[in-house]
Amino acid sequence: MTEDLRKNLHRGIDSIQHDVVRLSAMVAEGVVAGTAALLDSDMDAAQSLIDADDVLDELTNDLEERCFAVLALEQPMASDLRSVTGSLRIASDLERAGDLVVNIMKGARRMYGQDLPVRLRGIIQQMSEESARLIRLASDAYAERNGALGSALNEIDNRLDELQRDFIAAMFDAHTNGECELPQAVQLALIARYYERIGDHAVNIGERVAFIATGALPDYAAMGARGVPGAGSAEEE
Amino acid sequence: MSQAAVLLLGLLAGVIGGAVVGGVVGARRSRRLGARRVDDELRASGLEHLTGGADPAAAVVRVVREVRRSAAEESRARALLVDVLDGLPPAIVLFDSAGVVVLSNSEGARMLGGRHGEAIVARVVRDLLATGGDRAVELAGPPARHVEIAMRVLADGHRVAVVDDVTERRRLEGIRRDFVANISHELRTPVGAIVVLTEAMIDQAEPAVLERLGAKVHREAVRVSEAIDDLIELSRLEHDAGLDVAPVLAASLVREAVGRVAHAAEERGIGFRCDVSGGVDEVLVDERQVVSALVNLLDNAVKYSPAGSVVTVGVRPCTTGAGARGVCFEVADEGIGIPARDLERIFERFYRVDRARSRSTGGIGLGLAIVRHVAQNHAGDIAVSSREGTGTTFTLRIPTPVDGPADHEETS
Repeated sequence: MTEDLRKNLHRGIDSIQHDVVRLSAMVAEGVVAGTAALLDSDMDAAQSLIDADDVLDELTNDLEERCFAVLALEQPMASDLRSVTGSLRIASDLERAGDLVVNIMKGARRMYGQDLPVRLRGIIQQMSEESARLIRLASDAYAERNGALGSALNEIDNRLDELQRDFIAAMFDAHTNGECELPQAVQLALIARYYERIGDHAVNIGERVAFIATGALPDYAAMGARGVPGAGSAEEE
Repeated sequence: MSQAAVLLLGLLAGVIGGAVVGGVVGARRSRRLGARRVDDELRASGLEHLTGGADPAAAVVRVVREVRRSAAEESRARALLVDVLDGLPPAIVLFDSAGVVVLSNSEGARMLGGRHGEAIVARVVRDLLATGGDRAVELAGPPARHVEIAMRVLADGHRVAVVDDVTERRRLEGIRRDFVANISHELRTPVGAIVVLTEAMIDQAEPAVLERLGAKVHREAVRVSEAIDDLIELSRLEHDAGLDVAPVLAASLVREAVGRVAHAAEERGIGFRCDVSGGVDEVLVDERQVVSALVNLLDNAVKYSPAGSVVTVGVRPCTTGAGARGVCFEVADEGIGIPARDLERIFERFYRVDRARSRSTGGIGLGLAIVRHVAQNHAGDIAVSSREGTGTTFTLRIPTPVDGPADHEETS
């Protein structure tokens, strides 16, 4: 009856896991809703997303506190310990991803009133879909303790990196054709970078999940060889 | 159940007590004493109908049977209730006064343990436990969803949450709301222009000006006339589903349709690439309807393509959304594309992605509604994939006996 002996610990871990899943759902929703606000120039929606970040921050702080409480009061061991420390870091990755949505919204505000070239709109839509998908996959991997899926996110993220490169190329074209002024181009370049960073946070979460599941940290040396932009699977596709 | 347990303990005490006493004063008397104590217990618990037996052990057996029977009935009733609730579309969760889940249907359990959007909805349900009342939640998705949550407090302090997905209802409301606004925009604008133009003509004596105004009136009149033709065509497709099905060459359908938009395409410098080499020979369709659908798709492709680009038309064997073998007509352009948020609405009557552009491109927004009806009349479907700035591909899928090698699908 070990479960009964550590009832508080397991209850604590369950509630932390539940809220990390919810936090990631809120971030993924924010990415999709934020992109709609950006493409529709909907400043009300943009403002409400900026405001909604406070809720995200609050939940992250609350999660952090609960993780520390479990660590201090329950002294978890082995996979329980990895789960709590992993959740701690995953929550902060999610919080950062949420901040990036706020950055995208502020970019949308600065570009208000300027038409976006259609080709760029198309790529923004794709980047948004990809980054929201990565967050959702990271959340699935976390909820299922699926280390294999967690590790696979790095490869899946290549698509988002490619899109960012396409976006920059399309932006140069648009600028050359006079469809896009320099201030707008700067905002757009930043926005593309924000989406790409959201994907990177999802990859980080995936690595943490793999650590929770297996206890092994990712092999950065091996990943470095594959992770060079333009090399590896990105080229094979 | 705890009341039954107390009762059972009381009864057992009676039996054991009787046995102990029996050891001293004789078996028969002890049984009588035990039986009396058992009857007292039963009466105290409101179970008079089980009293009166001479043997306390038999009374215990009777009570155990009674408890089992009522427990079985209770679990049967509960299973029936859960079955009924599972059959309902909304998620339903019953909480006790402490907020612990007592009962939920399968949708409710899925929502409470769910991820992504479900996790957000589950949280709102928990928030409502304290306050009660209703709340609407919009989820960005994908897919985007509208959810309505109602929390009711029952007389005994239990709370029941009903979570209803109203996405489809909202969509239909949107269509109904926009319909009147759109139809008045499409029909009244040209008529209003004609009124103003003819007023100007009445006061005008200058032949050159009259001619110019006349040409404008003519253009607007043609616009109204086309709109009415489209409306009649659509209404015919809606009410007269009777198909005039006959075998016809797929390639000739495509050729006929391309021929009808060739003039408009030429004016805009747009070329066609026809790919009818997919192995489809004869198809069984209503020729007039399918050509009309293809003309509408090609007409759109031409309108929304940049000058000098190419529109691709293809025919190939495929499987429809419903899983039937059939044929796919594909029309792909390299145009401006359709924003993701409009994709699901473009088949509605009069729906416009960009109303500001609609006057320059012509048409009244019925083309795709006509295509959808042609697909439905043939028990087929229409699909679209699009990227802004990259282009749009429409796929009209119609079930029909397909000629050619049966394993074509697998190899293509």
